[in-house]
Amino acid sequence: MTSREKILASIASNKPSLVTMPNVPIFEGDGSVERFKNVLESIGGTTVELASKAECQEAIDKYYHDLKNVASEIVKANVAVTLDTTKDILEQVDLAVIQGEIGVSENGTIWVPESNMLNRALPFITQHLVLVLDKNNIVANMQQAYDKLEDIGNYGVFIAGPSKTADIEQSLVIGAHGARSMMVLIY
Amino acid sequence: MNHPDHPELAEAFNKDFERTTWHDETLWFVRQKRDKAVYPIPEFQDLRTLASEIKDHTLSNLDNYLIEFEQNAIKNGVKVHWAADAVEHNQIVMEIIKNSCKVEGRNPRLVKSKSMLTEECHLNDFLEKNNIDVVDTDLGERIVQFRNEPPSHIVLPAIHLKKEDVGETFYEHLGTAKGEKDPQILTEAARQHLRGKFVAADVALTGVNFAIAETGSFVVCTNEGNADLGVNLAKVHIACMGIEKIIPDLHHLSVYTRLLARSATGQPVTTYTSHFTKPVEGKEMHIVIVDNGRTQQLGRADFRASLKCIRCGACMNTCPVYRRSGGHSYDFTVPGPIGAILSPNIDLHKHKSLPFASTLCGSCSDVCPVKIDIHVQLYKWRQIVGKANELPAAKKWGMKGMAKVLSMPKVYDLSGKLARGALRILPHGLTHNQSMNPWAKARELPDAPKQSFKEWYEENRQ
Repeated sequence: MTSREKILASIASNKPSLVTMPNVPIFEGDGSVERFKNVLESIGGTTVELASKAECQEAIDKYYHDLKNVASEIVKANVAVTLDTTKDILEQVDLAVIQGEIGVSENGTIWVPESNMLNRALPFITQHLVLVLDKNNIVANMQQAYDKLEDIGNYGVFIAGPSKTADIEQSLVIGAHGARSMMVLIY
Repeated sequence: MNHPDHPELAEAFNKDFERTTWHDETLWFVRQKRDKAVYPIPEFQDLRTLASEIKDHTLSNLDNYLIEFEQNAIKNGVKVHWAADAVEHNQIVMEIIKNSCKVEGRNPRLVKSKSMLTEECHLNDFLEKNNIDVVDTDLGERIVQFRNEPPSHIVLPAIHLKKEDVGETFYEHLGTAKGEKDPQILTEAARQHLRGKFVAADVALTGVNFAIAETGSFVVCTNEGNADLGVNLAKVHIACMGIEKIIPDLHHLSVYTRLLARSATGQPVTTYTSHFTKPVEGKEMHIVIVDNGRTQQLGRADFRASLKCIRCGACMNTCPVYRRSGGHSYDFTVPGPIGAILSPNIDLHKHKSLPFASTLCGSCSDVCPVKIDIHVQLYKWRQIVGKANELPAAKKWGMKGMAKVLSMPKVYDLSGKLARGALRILPHGLTHNQSMNPWAKARELPDAPKQSFKEWYEENRQ
């Protein structure tokens, strides 16, 4: 008997009789841009509202002019990042500007699918992260988010603010292993 | 074999009064953050009920969901392994590492993000003995790994340490300045040190917060980003999960992602909630599904609800005993109230004191996001410990004596009278003698009343 068979047989003989599956409702809630911004800022992110997506370049020039190595498909980039980019190049990225798909106002998180990331490691290895988000894609809560998200694809991440830790005496430190700062450009 | 029990280890922790007080207050602060994060969500109680019911349903159909999960994961190009116990789990992980990275002249390098399951299986020791370099990358886990200690909390692994302790550890291992204790500077030192480890790693291992049967995906939640950084840079990803991590589909996941971080640290959500479905072409993804006593717990009707746990740690943060005794006093991978109901299933003799490490106040059950009846299970384990003849002699005979006295009203009246008299006459040093009366270790007895309530009632009834 393999371990697989052993485990499954043991579950079959030990599990209780079938309990009905509850129905998870799509809860209503405040899915406003205002709430999204407030929550994201309370967890260390920053937000900037733009009149249109075309203004992204201007915003990056304004807020990140001191950063050298930029990877992006949305704004001017000087590091070409693809699936095959090696670790030593990824390590040099100062700023990644990536499209986010769905924002959640209740917790300030943004869905970023692999197809937007250029390379799976990019949103994490970059020193600073900017996500670009259409304000029409902001929903109230996670039920609405997964409802809107038809397919989670091969890999995808909800990202809420910069990387952080409080593992030393519960003191909050921004910039643990991932991005040291995180800005959302909302258009 | 005799193990130091919870009271002994808790007593040692309490020797440092200031540190105990700090520990108590810090965890209570986390509990208060939880409350602030929970109250603004109008449907929070509905979400708890749903979370509980989804897990009840899933456990009642667990074998079929595991099969569905496995089939979908295989379709996604993921390799699925099954381990009946810790030994087999460790062996599987080692073989994946040795087969997938044939490196010459050096040890294979593994980076790990937090996984309580691998702590439970003592994976690190095993891999190191087999010439694999293991680096824990969660900051708290790295700190305790440097110090050769187990984590003292499942979410806050180094919560038993002060920043001075971490400074000393980093001075020794990372070359930070002697006496440096600024968390910002220490964290930056760890970031620089660990970036090197991430880039150099051959294999990355993560735990699993939730496994989705419908898609064959698994979800990992972190704040630091260490899980994603590790697996997306390494060639091989190994994810280790207990059988109870399964949920049916993404709508169910939406319930748990609203509960987990709010209950754990009072954050609205973890910084990263990562959904892994398929490996990148040319890379490997493995899932190890582990039993290690869980199917046995599933068969215990009174205790199977403990398998609903999503490892948020809320029950620890709120527990007056955990807060004042520290995680290491439980001497089990998962400390606190939830650990005290999981551990007797693994080894009743070794962990017999843990169900008593509770006031049965019920605060753990009140904050549990999946509504496990933790305090009821603690009480039920006590009965089993008693029946298994595992109670300490003083407690056993004390209880038996008490039962006798309470069953005979005349004897009860007489002993009450004697006790009240004795308390008035005998010197404090004798009535509060700590070896004869351990209850008085940190407590004062009230003044003995002149009469019992019964006598007072007889006199005053109308």
